[in-house]
Amino acid sequence: MRKARAGRPSPANFRRRNPGELTLGYSLVAPILIVMALVIAVPIVDAVWTSFQNQRVIGSEADFVGFATYIKILQDASFWDALGRSGIWLLLNLIIQTILAFSTALLLQRPGLWSRLAQVWVMLPWVIPTVAVTIVWQWMLNSNYGVIYRALEDLGLSLGSPFSDPGVVLFTIILVNSWHWFPLSAVVIYGALTTVPHEVMEAAKIDGANSWQTFISVVLPIMHPILFALGLVGSLWSFNVLDSIYLITEGGPAEATTTMPVYVYNTAFGAFRSSEAAAASVLTVLILVIAALAFVRFARPKED
Amino acid sequence: MKTSPSRTWASSLPRWFAMAGLTIVVLGPLYWVTMSAFKNREEIIRREPTLFPETPTLDNFRRLFTATDYPTYLANSASVAVATMVVTIIVSMAAAYALYRLRVPGSGRLAGIILLSYMIPGTLLIVPLYGTLFRLGLIDTHLGLVLVNVAFTAPFCTWLLRGFLLSIPDDLDAAAALDGAGPIRTMTQVVFPLLAPGVATVAVFSFVYAWKEFVFASQFVLSDSLDTLPIGLKAIIGQYTVDWGLVMAGAVFTLLPTVLLFAVVGRFFVGGLMSGANK
Repeated sequence: MRKARAGRPSPANFRRRNPGELTLGYSLVAPILIVMALVIAVPIVDAVWTSFQNQRVIGSEADFVGFATYIKILQDASFWDALGRSGIWLLLNLIIQTILAFSTALLLQRPGLWSRLAQVWVMLPWVIPTVAVTIVWQWMLNSNYGVIYRALEDLGLSLGSPFSDPGVVLFTIILVNSWHWFPLSAVVIYGALTTVPHEVMEAAKIDGANSWQTFISVVLPIMHPILFALGLVGSLWSFNVLDSIYLITEGGPAEATTTMPVYVYNTAFGAFRSSEAAAASVLTVLILVIAALAFVRFARPKED
Repeated sequence: MKTSPSRTWASSLPRWFAMAGLTIVVLGPLYWVTMSAFKNREEIIRREPTLFPETPTLDNFRRLFTATDYPTYLANSASVAVATMVVTIIVSMAAAYALYRLRVPGSGRLAGIILLSYMIPGTLLIVPLYGTLFRLGLIDTHLGLVLVNVAFTAPFCTWLLRGFLLSIPDDLDAAAALDGAGPIRTMTQVVFPLLAPGVATVAVFSFVYAWKEFVFASQFVLSDSLDTLPIGLKAIIGQYTVDWGLVMAGAVFTLLPTVLLFAVVGRFFVGGLMSGANK
């Protein structure tokens, strides 16, 4: 939600203020721009350049080959499989985390000691390093000694081999990753819920709306801007996840967990085919940009 | 409308279940890994798991500190995370002040570019980034890691600080100017002290990010002696694959620093994230 800008200097009357501020202003933005140019802009240009070559080990001598690397990638079934897996990964992570985050946010809203304490400890799954997260879950779901595995076995449910069965391992990691990431969305959604004015809720109740109707027609529209931003940034963060997968399976077994980031990582550092990894990155960024623009076009909150 | 006590109790039952469920889902795994780390070799793999160690032992922790390179990894992670935190605070405070307070000409566009370029998935840039760091002579250095970490924390932190800056009244600047304070003194002595909650939020976010970071650290640092904890812990797991007690102790001592930090400033962080994201 944007705040009114009244009273803030506009670029037009800026010069009439202290001229020292202009120098100060630009020197203050300079560091972040330099860092981002070095770490993001230069590598992007570099990636495009490398993708038109046939480079193998990063930085080694290579020839310009035009679109040959792209054609090779587009004909590679593993590339398309990785893209498809990333789609499943993104969608399921989004659904599971949204449900978890929304239920958590609604619970945190209840007054009481539990909610006040929970507001802090609920963040812990996000705070702890991914490597610890993967150890904890691999331990609890271990088919010989895992506490959850054993408990379900006693109830007559067998989990099979959650980390090595190619049919289920991607879903196991999606659950582990959702546990790791849902707290961040939960807290942001909880924050958005607290911005819904009490009077609006009361008015809806007086008009005879039940709590579900109030939620759909009153609360959700007020939260639309923050849900929109969270959806966009959260999806990109989710897509980007490499550590949860890599630490558990390194993309295996038989590429069953090779999402696009894992594919790029393994192509570059496992198979030493830098140009193919770069071409795959460029194609993926293009796909993400198109998807993001479509999302902005259709889900953007209306300006009021 | 009158509701009998038993009815209210029954209607709040689903809520109690949900609260208990969430508590177990979030804290259960942390409890379990901590308890496991205090169990001896026999108890940890027992057929019927014990909720609390029967004969609590510190043996796993002792071996973690003496038989593995854990202390080195801990020191490396601490220096990378603290450096990332300090640089992120300086860089994002400076940028936020210029973009959202001084509003230099073109600030709207600059803020947009910073946020947009931040959305490009970092893991897809790992190949060319390696090349860039190599040319700068920053491969296999902690400085290179800090630079990369800052690039991926500062944009979000700058944006988080926006909400905090907007809530500080503009009249303060005018008053300071009347008192004869120059732009730098206004910034450092009037506005920055009021930004403390925002800085706490940024500090936690950047420290946690650097402490957790695995992908870049796994490729940009080559020497074992410079590895950070996530990489080192993965190596320890590979080496002591069936020694669950040791692995649990390693996991506990990897998550403990962030949990402790969070216990102290977590309240500010959650508040900051809520208010920063909703302005």
